[in-house]
Amino acid sequence: MSSSIASSKKLFSIYKLPGFNFIAITCFVMLYAPIMILVGYSFNEGSSLALWEGFSLRWYYSAWQNEAVKDATLLSLIIALQASLYSTVLATMAALGTTRTRAFRGQTAIYAMINQPLMVPEIVTAVALLIVFATIKQATGYQGLSYLVIAHTAFCVPFAYLPIRARLEDMDRSLEIAAADLYATPWRCFRRVTLPLLLPGILAGAMLAFVISLDDVVITEFVKSAGQDTLPTFMLGQIRRVITPEMNAIASALLAVSVLMVSLIFLINRKKT
Amino acid sequence: MTPIIKKSIVGLAMVAISGSASAAGELNLYNWGNYTNPELITKFEKAHDVKVTVTDYDSNDSALAKVKAGGHGFDMVVPSANYMKIWIDEGLLLETRPDQMSNFKNVAKDFNNPVWDPGRRYSVPWQWGTVGMIVDTSVYKGDINTSALFLDPPDELKGKINVPPEMNDVISAAIMYLGGEPCTTDKDLLRKVRDKLVEAKKHWLSMDYGMIEKFAGRDVAASLYWNGAGFRAREKNADVRFGYPQEGFALWMDSVAVLKDAKNADNAKLFQNFVMMPENAALISAFARYANGIDGSDKYMPADMKNAPEIIIDPKLSGAGKFLLACSPKATEMYTAIWTELQK
Repeated sequence: MSSSIASSKKLFSIYKLPGFNFIAITCFVMLYAPIMILVGYSFNEGSSLALWEGFSLRWYYSAWQNEAVKDATLLSLIIALQASLYSTVLATMAALGTTRTRAFRGQTAIYAMINQPLMVPEIVTAVALLIVFATIKQATGYQGLSYLVIAHTAFCVPFAYLPIRARLEDMDRSLEIAAADLYATPWRCFRRVTLPLLLPGILAGAMLAFVISLDDVVITEFVKSAGQDTLPTFMLGQIRRVITPEMNAIASALLAVSVLMVSLIFLINRKKT
Repeated sequence: MTPIIKKSIVGLAMVAISGSASAAGELNLYNWGNYTNPELITKFEKAHDVKVTVTDYDSNDSALAKVKAGGHGFDMVVPSANYMKIWIDEGLLLETRPDQMSNFKNVAKDFNNPVWDPGRRYSVPWQWGTVGMIVDTSVYKGDINTSALFLDPPDELKGKINVPPEMNDVISAAIMYLGGEPCTTDKDLLRKVRDKLVEAKKHWLSMDYGMIEKFAGRDVAASLYWNGAGFRAREKNADVRFGYPQEGFALWMDSVAVLKDAKNADNAKLFQNFVMMPENAALISAFARYANGIDGSDKYMPADMKNAPEIIIDPKLSGAGKFLLACSPKATEMYTAIWTELQK
């Protein structure tokens, strides 16, 4: 096996294709240069986004002191925590239902439906939710946070579902079968065998859902009620006036959280193999 | 009447007056992001015992979409002049008659009867500004109050001109320069506008935003642009001046109005009257750095804004200012065609 891979490597290696280095480097520069510049200017002493006036942490400090930023951050975290919790529970159930059952008619259709938020343009979901929630808001008069939590839960489900399902498909079925052979009830088998093995997938799914919820703009902008600005919608609102490096500082902090979460997912997934 | 009864009657009367003027409760303001001075809100909350919640929007369109859908929970909104007619025609606004409020006398006469809200039956000025010429006077010493600087550029400025990528602002400036009215559908005139713009473009350096930095770094010497940016560019480069094209320049204004389905309409009306007080209007300007359309507010403005020529229009030129309204679909279609050709 390994010898055949080695020989095929000699015949064809993507690294040896002409222009490989050039294309790879261009891609990385295009992807990361704007972010690097954004992070760089968050440390600018002056109030400019294009003229460097020396290093300072003043914009981080001013963001930290900004009550509106604090409120928006807190709200973002509350929504992201709830949405990732609920969507992970739903996604776990969905993943079990689509992998630990006998193949049934319409399984592919259900699979596609669960992942619908990945295909449907966000603005479509946003407008649809706006109309539905507006009707409910008018009928009930309730303006609370639940609308945002429900909306976020809905679009976070596929992001939680994919890693959990992947994990379930990779897992060794023989352990579950052995447990069943030894007269474990289905519930006991799930609790003592499936769930512990699945845990890394669930954690990865939850973190991914958390990050996705934290970063969402379009749906939140349409669904939010009075006083419900999350960090991204707050940032979007700032473009009306001159943008100071305070925005860069907030964006950099948000970026750091996202990178941290994704790194954790990576580490969790690596450990189990 | 005993003094005690007298006192209690006065007391009751006062309660009644303040009761009718201030319904203790809530107010939900839906405004552009980063546009509402927190000090203004605190002052209003203290004065009227009302809890104010500010929620941001980022465009006229998204605000309109949310309010039209209903169930939004907002009481007030701050649409731009070119959108106000849509809000009024769609029946989304409450006719609060600001023109009959006690502070209406403070509204500057240029803004007390705007075409987009005749008689000010719905809205109260929030902020306004202009689109004019930012010029680096170390490069060009001539008259800066003309659109010729970007349409028939003098030699000193050639190759150092910027024009913002804003179709309506650029085409309207060119139409007014050639003697037409914004939103015109006169084909002969528009043909001239197109030829003028295409010809002038050869002398432009860029069609871009971010001019404050460009003027600070002296990369650009003239640009059609917004007055607030001109003000900030001058803070960074003392040679920068802001000109108001005498052929005609565009005005924009955002005004605060009450929504028809507002739950706290009384507080919203109080707020409308409140922002027409000069010292309160000055608070709005101190934060958002634009003029407010309330007479007497300059007294309370921050020192750097009091006499800023970017904020206070030269009276000789103020007559040339025109509000840009939403043009007819036919006009927009023709302008888009010109704009597309210009972008080539």
